[in-house]
Amino acid sequence: MLTDILFFFFAGIAIFCGIMVVTRRNPVASALWLIGTFFALAAIYTLIGAFFIGVIQILVYAGAIMVLFLFVIMLLNLGNDYQPDLRSRAWMITAGGSGLVLLAILGRVFAADTTAPLGRLTGPEAVATQVAEYGAVGAIARPMYTDYMIVLQVTGLLLLVAVVGAVMLAKRRV
Amino acid sequence: MDFYGSHWVLTFLIFFPLAGAVVAALVPERLARSVALGVGVIELLVALPLFWTFDPAAGMQNRIDVPWMADWGIGYRLGLDGISLFMVLLTAFLLPLTVLGSWSYIRDRQRAFYAMLLGLTTGVVGVFVALDMFLFYVFWEIMLIPMYFLVGVWGGKERIYAAVKFFLYTAFGSLLMLVAILYLYFKAQGLTGEATFAYEAFLALPLTFTEQALLFAGFALAFAIKVPIFPFHTWLPHAHVQAPTAGSVVLAGVLLKMGTYGFLRFALPLFPAAALNETTVLIFMSLAVIGIVYTAMVAAVQPNAKRLVAYTSVAHLGFAILGIFAFNLQGIQGALLLMIAHGLSTPMLFFLLGMMYERRHTYEIADYGGLAASVPILSAMLVFAALATIGLPGTSGFVSEFLVLLGAFQTHPYLALIAATGVIFAAYYMLPPLQRIVFNALDRKENRVIPDLNRRELTILVPLVALIIWIGVYPRPVLDRMEPAVSQLIHQVEGGRMVVAPPTDHAAERPPVAAADEERR
Amino acid sequence: MELDFQTSVDYFWALLPEIVLSLWAMGVLLADVFQKGSRSEASRPAIAWLALAGIAAAAVANVWLMTVTGTGGMIAVDGFRIFANFILLLAAALAILVSMGYLDRHAMNRGEFYVLLMFAVVGMMILASAQDLILLFVGLELMSVAIYVLVGFNRRDPRSGEAALKYFLLGAFASAFLLYGIALVFGATGTTDLALLAETIGTGVQDAPLLLMMGVGLLAVGFAFKVAAMPFHVWTPDAYDGAPTPITALMATGVKAAAFAALLRVFAVSFGGLHETWVVAFWWLAALTMIGANLVALTQGSVKRMLAYSSIAHAGYVLVAVVAANAVGAAAFLFYLLVYTLMTAGAFGIVIANARGDRERVSLEDYAGLGWQQPVMAAAFAIFLLSLAGFPLTGGFIGKLYILRAALAADQVPLAVILVMASLISYFYYLRVVIVMYMRPAPAADTHAGLTASRPLQVAVGVAAIGVILLFFAPAMVLDAAQGSVAGLFIAQEALFGLSRGP
Repeated sequence: MLTDILFFFFAGIAIFCGIMVVTRRNPVASALWLIGTFFALAAIYTLIGAFFIGVIQILVYAGAIMVLFLFVIMLLNLGNDYQPDLRSRAWMITAGGSGLVLLAILGRVFAADTTAPLGRLTGPEAVATQVAEYGAVGAIARPMYTDYMIVLQVTGLLLLVAVVGAVMLAKRRV
Repeated sequence: MDFYGSHWVLTFLIFFPLAGAVVAALVPERLARSVALGVGVIELLVALPLFWTFDPAAGMQNRIDVPWMADWGIGYRLGLDGISLFMVLLTAFLLPLTVLGSWSYIRDRQRAFYAMLLGLTTGVVGVFVALDMFLFYVFWEIMLIPMYFLVGVWGGKERIYAAVKFFLYTAFGSLLMLVAILYLYFKAQGLTGEATFAYEAFLALPLTFTEQALLFAGFALAFAIKVPIFPFHTWLPHAHVQAPTAGSVVLAGVLLKMGTYGFLRFALPLFPAAALNETTVLIFMSLAVIGIVYTAMVAAVQPNAKRLVAYTSVAHLGFAILGIFAFNLQGIQGALLLMIAHGLSTPMLFFLLGMMYERRHTYEIADYGGLAASVPILSAMLVFAALATIGLPGTSGFVSEFLVLLGAFQTHPYLALIAATGVIFAAYYMLPPLQRIVFNALDRKENRVIPDLNRRELTILVPLVALIIWIGVYPRPVLDRMEPAVSQLIHQVEGGRMVVAPPTDHAAERPPVAAADEERR
Repeated sequence: MELDFQTSVDYFWALLPEIVLSLWAMGVLLADVFQKGSRSEASRPAIAWLALAGIAAAAVANVWLMTVTGTGGMIAVDGFRIFANFILLLAAALAILVSMGYLDRHAMNRGEFYVLLMFAVVGMMILASAQDLILLFVGLELMSVAIYVLVGFNRRDPRSGEAALKYFLLGAFASAFLLYGIALVFGATGTTDLALLAETIGTGVQDAPLLLMMGVGLLAVGFAFKVAAMPFHVWTPDAYDGAPTPITALMATGVKAAAFAALLRVFAVSFGGLHETWVVAFWWLAALTMIGANLVALTQGSVKRMLAYSSIAHAGYVLVAVVAANAVGAAAFLFYLLVYTLMTAGAFGIVIANARGDRERVSLEDYAGLGWQQPVMAAAFAIFLLSLAGFPLTGGFIGKLYILRAALAADQVPLAVILVMASLISYFYYLRVVIVMYMRPAPAADTHAGLTASRPLQVAVGVAAIGVILLFFAPAMVLDAAQGSVAGLFIAQEALFGLSRGP
C-alpha cells in the first residue's frame, strides 16, 4: 500500500518535471528540471527493488550526463531568448488532448488486472529472485554480458555512429 | 516443323512485329519507314495463308500450351478459331497499309513512331490469340502504351488530353477485369486444387448467379469501354480526332474489335447465366440501340469530318453488340462480319481523311467543296468509302448489318426495328457532308490546286475497295469459316446457361484457397 | 552449419554479414582519416568503391549464411532474413552508386557519408532479423541515428537541415512509441523474445489482457511511423524532399524495407495469435494509405515530392500483404519489396541524373522534352514509372499481382479492390511525368544537353531497369526464393496452434 502511494507520488513528480522541461524557455532551467525527472525515476526503480539501477540512474544521468548538458549549454552560450516550442494555441490543445487521451487509455489499461502476466514473472518479484541469486550488480551484469551481449555490442556501434554523426553535423567548417 | 499446323505461325505473327519494332528503333531515321513496311508486308504474307490452311471443322487450332510461370499456372497458351482468325487477318492486313498511310504524314521521330506502330501490332495479335487469361491481360494492357504514345506524341492540338483520357478509361476497365480474373483463378484453384490461368479451366467453373453477375460486370465494363458502348464512348471521338491517321486506322480497324471479341470469347462463355439473363440482354441491346440512334444524330451535326467518322464507329459497333446479344447464329455471324466490314470501310475513310489533311491541313468539312472537279479519283474513293460505311447493298456493310438485324428480329423485334432506322440515319449523316465535300461548287482557291492521289495512296485504297466488294458480294468463304466456331460457341453457352451453382452458404464458400490447401495436406 | 546459440561463437557466425559490414565500415572510417592529400572534393572516389566492396563482402557472407541453420537465438537465421538482407544490401549498393557523382556536385564528398550509410545498413539488417524486441529496438536506433545525420548531411542547404530536424523529432517520437509498446508487452508477458511471445500469447484472443493489447497497439503506431503509413506519414514528404537525393532513395527503399520486415516478423509471427485484432487496424491503415497517398500525390508539382508520396502509397500496398498475414502474403511481401527497391532506387537515380551542377531539377517542367533529347535516360525513367504504376511488362505488375493474390487468398476482397482503384489513381500522376517527358516540347533544343550521368549512376540505373524488366519475364527464380524463404516463418505458429491461413 505504501509502495503504491510512493509510486504515484514519484510518478507525479516525474511527469510534472517532464512537462516543465519542455515548457521552460531557458535551456538551463530545462536541464535542471530534467534532473528532477531523473531523481523521481531513480526513486521508482528503488521502489521495485532495483537499487543498483536507481543508484546508477542518479550517478550517471543526474551526475554525469546532466553536468555535460549544462556544460554544453553554457559553452555554446545559448541565450535566454528562446521561443517556446509550443507556439500556437492549436498545437497546445492538440498536444494536451492527445496526452489526455493516452492517459485515459492507460488508466483503463492499468485499472484492469495487471497482476497476472501471461507467462513469466515480471515486476518486483522477478527482480527480487534475480537479486537474491546473483546480487544487485550481478542481476544486471549477468544478462547484459551473456544473454544481451549482442545488444550491448550493437549499442556500442550506435554510440560510434552518434559520435561520427555529431562531428559531421556540428563541425564548424563545412 | 509444320509452320501452319503448329503454334509457330501465331508466335511468329505476335513477335515478328516486336522484333521489327526493335530494328525500326535502331536503324537510321530515314530507313525506319522502309523497315516498317518490310515488316508489315512480311507479316501480311505470313498471315494470309492462314485463310486457306485454317480448318473450320477443327475448332481451336494452332495451339500451344507451355508453362511460363509454372508455379502460378501461367502458361504461354495460344490458339486460333473461326472467331479470332479474321481478327488476326484484319490486323495483319491493315499493318502494311497503315505504314504506307503514314509514309509522308509522319515527319518527325519516325523511328519511334514505327516502333510504336509495330509494337502495337504485337499487343493486338496477342489479344486475339491468347488462351491464357494472364497472357490475355498482359497483351490487353501493353497495347495501351504504344497507342498512348501514338496519340500523345504524333497527335493533333489536344493530343495529351485525348491520350490521357483514352488511357485512363481503358485502364479503369481493365483493372476491374484483373480482379475478376484473379477471383476466377482462386475459384478454379479451390475446386480443382490446381493453380491455372488457362481459359478452358475457367469455362467449366460452377458459379452462383451472384458471382456470375459481379464477375460479368467486371469483364463487361472493360469490354464495353473498349467497344465502346454508349455511354462509355466519350473517349473515342477525342482519341480519333487527335490521333494521327495510322492511329485512327488501327484504333477503328482493330482496337475497338478487341471489345466485341472480348464479349464473344470471354464475357459470354465464362458467365453464360449472367450474360444471357433477360435483363442483361435487354440492357445491352437497349444501350446498343441508343448508341446507334444517338451517335447517328450527334454525327450529323459534326463540322469536323474526322469526328463524324469517329461517331459512326460507335453506331456501327452498336450493331455488333446488338448481334452478339441477340445470340443466335445470324446475329453473331453478322456481328463478326460487321467487325470485319467496319475494319475495312472505316479505316478507308480515315486513310482518305488523312490524305485530304496532308493536302489541305484541315478536317473541317466547311473548308472543302467541289473536290470532284479538282481531284476526281480521290473523290470517287471518298464516295465509295462513304457508301460502304452507310452499308449500300454490294458492300460488306450491307451483308453484315442485314445479318445482325435478322438475328435481332428473332429475339427483340422492336429493338431491331429501331436499330434498323440507324441505317437510314447513316445515310442522313453521311450524305450531306459528302455532298458538301465532293459535289458543291469549287468555291475555294486552295481546293483547285491540290494533287490527286498518287500511286502509293492508290496502293493503300485499292485492296480495301476490293475486299469490301468481295465480302459484300460473296461473303460465303468468310461465313463458312466462322460458322462452326459460332455454332460451337452458341451450343456451349446455351448449355452453360442452365448450369448455375446453387447459392451456397457464405461461410462454407468463402476461402476456396484454404479449402484446397487442406485437401493438399 | 547448425547453430543452437548456446555459446557466443554461434552468434559470431549467425551475425557474420553484420560483423563483416561493421568492421569494414570502421576500416573505411580509418582509411578516410589516413588518406593522403587534401580532404577536398572529387579526389577520393576510392572510399566509395571501398564501401561498395564492403557491401559486396557482406553479401558474400550472406550467401554463406544460406548454408546455416539455427534456432533459439536472439537473431533469426532463416530464409526470410537472408532474403531481406539481400534486398537491404541491394538498396545500399544502389544508393552508393548513385551517390558518387552527386556528392561531388554538391561539394559534400566526405568519407563519413559512406561510413554512416554502411552503419545504417547494419542497423537495417539487425532490425530485419532481430528475434528479440530489445535487439530490434537497438537495431532500429542504429539505423535511424545514422539516417538522421545523413539527411542533414548537406549543411549548405537549409532544407537539408530542416528535413533532418523534422525526421529526428518524429523519428524519436516513433521510437518512444515503440519502446513504450515493448515495455507494455514485456509487462504483460514477461518476455521480449519473439518466439516466446508467440508461445505465451498462444491463440488467446479472448483473454488477452488489455496491457498486452495496448502494447501491441503502441508497437503498431511506432511501426506505422517508421514505414510512413497514413496518417503517420506527415514527416515523410519534407524529410524525403530535403534530404540529399541518394539518401532519399535509401530511405524510401532500405529503411522502409527493414522496418517492414521487422513489422511482419513481429506481427505475423509473434502476435499471430492476436491476428484477428490487429488486422483490423492494419486494414484501415492500408486502405487509408493507399487512397490518401495516391490522392495527395496527384497534386504534387515536384517529381521528388511525387516520388515521396508514391513511396507512401507503396507502403499501403505492402501493408495489404501484411494484412493477408499468410505465407503467400509474406512471399508477396518479400517479392514486392525487391521490385519496389529496384524501381524506386532507379527512379531517384534519374532524379539525380536530371540535375545541373548542384541545382536539382525536380519540377515537372524540368522534364519537358527529356524523352527526345535524352532517350535512354527517359526510357529508363518511363520503365520505372510504369513499374511503380504496376503496368504489365514490369516487375511492379507481378509484385502487385502477387499482393492481390495474397489478399484474395486471405479473403480480403474489398482491400484488393481498393488496391486496384488506388493503382488507377496512381496511373494519373506517374503518366503525367511520361507525358511531360515525351509530349511536351523542351523549352530549347539544348535544354537537356550536357546532362551526363556519372558512370556509376548509369550502372545503378541500368541494373535497376534490367532487374525490373527481368522480374516480369522470368520471375520464377525470385518467386521460388521468396516462397522458400518464408516457408519457415509460419511453421512454429502452425505447429503450435494448427493455424492455417491460406497456402
